[in-house]
Amino acid sequence: MFSKDKKIVSNRKFIFLPLLSKKITIFIAFLFTITGSYAQPCDLTIKGRVTDEGSGLPLSYVYVVIQDLTQGTTTDDEGNFLLEHVCAGEYHLIFSHIGCDPEEVHIHLPEDTLVNIELAHSSISLEHAVVKGKKDDYDDQPNLSVNRQSIEDNTNQNLSGLLENETGVHIIKNGSGIAKPVVHGMYGNRLTILNNGIAQSGQQWGNDHSPEIDPLSADRITVLKGANAIAYGGGNLGSVILIEPKKIGIEPHLHGHVTYAFETNGRGSSLNTRLQQYTPSVAWRVNATLKRYGDKKTADYFLNNTGTGEANFSLQLEKSWKEKTFLDLYASTFNTRLGVLTGSHISNVPDLEAALTREVPFFTEPNFSYKIEAPKQEVSHHLLKLKAKHYIDENQSLQFILAGQLNNREEFDIRRSGRTDIPALSLQQYTFNAELQYLKVFAKDWKLKVGNQNIIIDNTNDSRTGILPLIPDYISWKNGLFGTVSKQQNRANFNIGIRYDYEYQYAVVISNSISKDIIRYTNNFHNAGAVLGVKYDLSKTQSITLSSGYAMRNPAINELYSNGLHQGVSGIEEGDVGLKTEKAIKNTLEYKWLPSARFSLNALAYYQRFSDYIFLNPQDEIRPTIRGAFPVFKYEQTDASIYGFDASTQFTMGKSLFGLIKYSFLRGDDIRNNIPLVYMPPNSLFGSLSYRANSPINLSAQLQLEQLEFELNNRLVFPQNNLLATQDFVVPPPSYNLLGLKMSTNIIFPNYKFRFFTKVDNLFNIQYRDYLNRQRYFADDTGISVTMGIKFKF
Amino acid sequence: MIKNYLPLTLLLTVALLLTACKKDDPKVPNEEELITTVNYTLTPTGGGTAVVLSFKDLDGDGDDVPTIIGGTLSANQTYTGMLDLLNEAESPSESITEEILEEDEDHQFFFQSDVSDLIISYGDQDENGNPVGLNSTLTTGTVASGSITVILRHEPIKDASGVADGDITNAGGTTDIQVTFPVDVQ
Repeated sequence: MFSKDKKIVSNRKFIFLPLLSKKITIFIAFLFTITGSYAQPCDLTIKGRVTDEGSGLPLSYVYVVIQDLTQGTTTDDEGNFLLEHVCAGEYHLIFSHIGCDPEEVHIHLPEDTLVNIELAHSSISLEHAVVKGKKDDYDDQPNLSVNRQSIEDNTNQNLSGLLENETGVHIIKNGSGIAKPVVHGMYGNRLTILNNGIAQSGQQWGNDHSPEIDPLSADRITVLKGANAIAYGGGNLGSVILIEPKKIGIEPHLHGHVTYAFETNGRGSSLNTRLQQYTPSVAWRVNATLKRYGDKKTADYFLNNTGTGEANFSLQLEKSWKEKTFLDLYASTFNTRLGVLTGSHISNVPDLEAALTREVPFFTEPNFSYKIEAPKQEVSHHLLKLKAKHYIDENQSLQFILAGQLNNREEFDIRRSGRTDIPALSLQQYTFNAELQYLKVFAKDWKLKVGNQNIIIDNTNDSRTGILPLIPDYISWKNGLFGTVSKQQNRANFNIGIRYDYEYQYAVVISNSISKDIIRYTNNFHNAGAVLGVKYDLSKTQSITLSSGYAMRNPAINELYSNGLHQGVSGIEEGDVGLKTEKAIKNTLEYKWLPSARFSLNALAYYQRFSDYIFLNPQDEIRPTIRGAFPVFKYEQTDASIYGFDASTQFTMGKSLFGLIKYSFLRGDDIRNNIPLVYMPPNSLFGSLSYRANSPINLSAQLQLEQLEFELNNRLVFPQNNLLATQDFVVPPPSYNLLGLKMSTNIIFPNYKFRFFTKVDNLFNIQYRDYLNRQRYFADDTGISVTMGIKFKF
Repeated sequence: MIKNYLPLTLLLTVALLLTACKKDDPKVPNEEELITTVNYTLTPTGGGTAVVLSFKDLDGDGDDVPTIIGGTLSANQTYTGMLDLLNEAESPSESITEEILEEDEDHQFFFQSDVSDLIISYGDQDENGNPVGLNSTLTTGTVASGSITVILRHEPIKDASGVADGDITNAGGTTDIQVTFPVDVQ
């Protein structure tokens, strides 16, 4: 009997261990064994021990449940758990821990005897430099991530909103519906967003353009803040945001969920459903999201025409051959309609000045409405991606990605004679990506990664708008070559990366002179970059990471050729064809301390120095036109410095209280002219305190509450004082403090299970305005909002 | 199988470059909505030569300086005012006045002046009995000089307080025209 058991162990090992090695990140690993006896099939025992991978210490209060039997337990102080009197059969085991995505494992008793499980943990972890097989290599860099549970519990949020409370991350908004993330003061052309491994293509230049991504199609959103982002397309100076679905995994049954949430502010509904199944021929997952919101409300009044609508769908197919060759297909469509506050639609300087003096914006109506009228945006983004990865042997792999994107943006203004239905801006952008990557792990922990990335963009304006385009028609081709080498040497991990990008631009500009000439421009740019990083483990519980990078970014099409009135910002924007390439050095220093599973501290300081920093500079000129006077903004270059500090700490008090504090400081200056940089995020402080029931609460024999959690959170945003009075139309808004509450629990009935979540944002319904929200010129930000949601999993 | 990917990438890249390096001439949008010219014709009641105040900017948002022609009015005189809006970038020029007449309930002109004793009042109404301002009456007083500003608002709140009397403060809407003419009253 004993020998038979042993044989099974080795069998399972064979199947599971190669799988483990390909998982993306390992934050916490669980190891448990199932021992059983064949004589009494209903007297089997499952037992194991749970440890925190970061610290190696046992992890207590991890909830382990056999979903099919509603039988569960929690781990003790030593991380041990025991489940007794289990019959032979097929089961789904669920592991959950505070702040983690619950992980589900399909087991077959008594055959299954050894299984490895991973939970993606959102907390700070030390990520020991022991490189686990073929684990992707961005975990040695400063990063933070949002997990699936948190994406689902905040299903009312867009991509930017989900990242709002993370250190070093802010959002630039135009009302509540249009938002784009800012990391360490960088956004738009300087921030790369990778959706499913593909650089998100679109109209990055506009402050009033959101990234067209459905966060509910992802399982994890990661922000890489180090200089090591060199391997990612775009060759950027700044950070990278990765939006990734997880692998479908080996689960033979059809599984899925339906989540519905309602939010009082905006009377919005969102519905998300996901289905997935593994079959030996192909593993598939589909995800669909529908959202509808009406007018949002401030503390005192409705924000007319601020509704949004969204319909998204994605399909993911995975196929593998002999655990060596993997083929992924991903197709998604994102479609949105976004209303812009009617009272923020102003035309010239006197109008803006009049709007600034008003308490309540023009066109504020006492009634709520779902209607979305001009001014509005209608945007579609479609993606088709094919990825092939082949493990040549244990230490070598080759990856090939091919993708196509179509971005269709239409912006509508209030126009005369029925032209409101004709978009005032209509752009169609095709993007083609092709990428090849080779990875090799040499002896003695040497790791090499080389690759080539191609991005071709074709952008075309629709002339039926009847308005001269602000951004010209263009084609660009970018070809990037990169190589990174990493080496583990005792307690240190070294990273060296180099990158070269060639960019070809071909733009066709219509002059706004009376003769409307067509001018063609051809540009060739060569950019080089390099990065050096060292992570050093001071002890088992402390590490420091230092990274330094140099990168170049050539001027983007909008910076070179913008010409005309940008209605969204009520100014005339003029590009400069003579702009040079922008250069920057970024240094980051991160310290992590994880003395136990109950406490952690993470601090990150960064300094970024730019020469020839490209920015939109307000001119002394006020240009008279028939519509009145408009301020003129020109793209100019200066030298700039941006430095800041992010800190966060997590701690556990007693058995059930869990605290979190995050602080972000940033300062940006134009050092050539010795004045502040505009549009830099103000400092902020976030804190939360949560209570979590350690064990399930039995309300009756049939009803159980599991993972019951309450949270009280607070976000304090300081005023942006680093700005001259002449740099804005109005002084930046004062500091504000928002209090929030959250509650979530799993409700378990014998045969099915729900998750219920609710939250209150801006609990005291305070009136406030945010510096990075352009709507602040006209109206307050949103007031109190209650969200309630339910998730049914099967 | 994997070995086939490399040539495939090169092939696709080359193919795309060959076809995608050129961009056709863009179609120049037909800017039929553009207003290039505002003429404010003031005819003295009881006869006399009309005074035409004119603002012309053919390149829209471009950096060419607009042509502004002011005028000289007689003191203590009443004038009938008529506004005419044109798009002279088109050939032949297009009348915007007609578009405004068709949508007169969504448009209103506002008149402002710093010339003492100069008063401009509305001479027309839309279907709802609210003023439009294509037709107006201008009366001058003593000898003075200064300017007249004409503003056209699209989708103003016509029933907001003071708007029907020509006060722009609560009007809202978007500004389609805002032009200023120098005037002398002699």
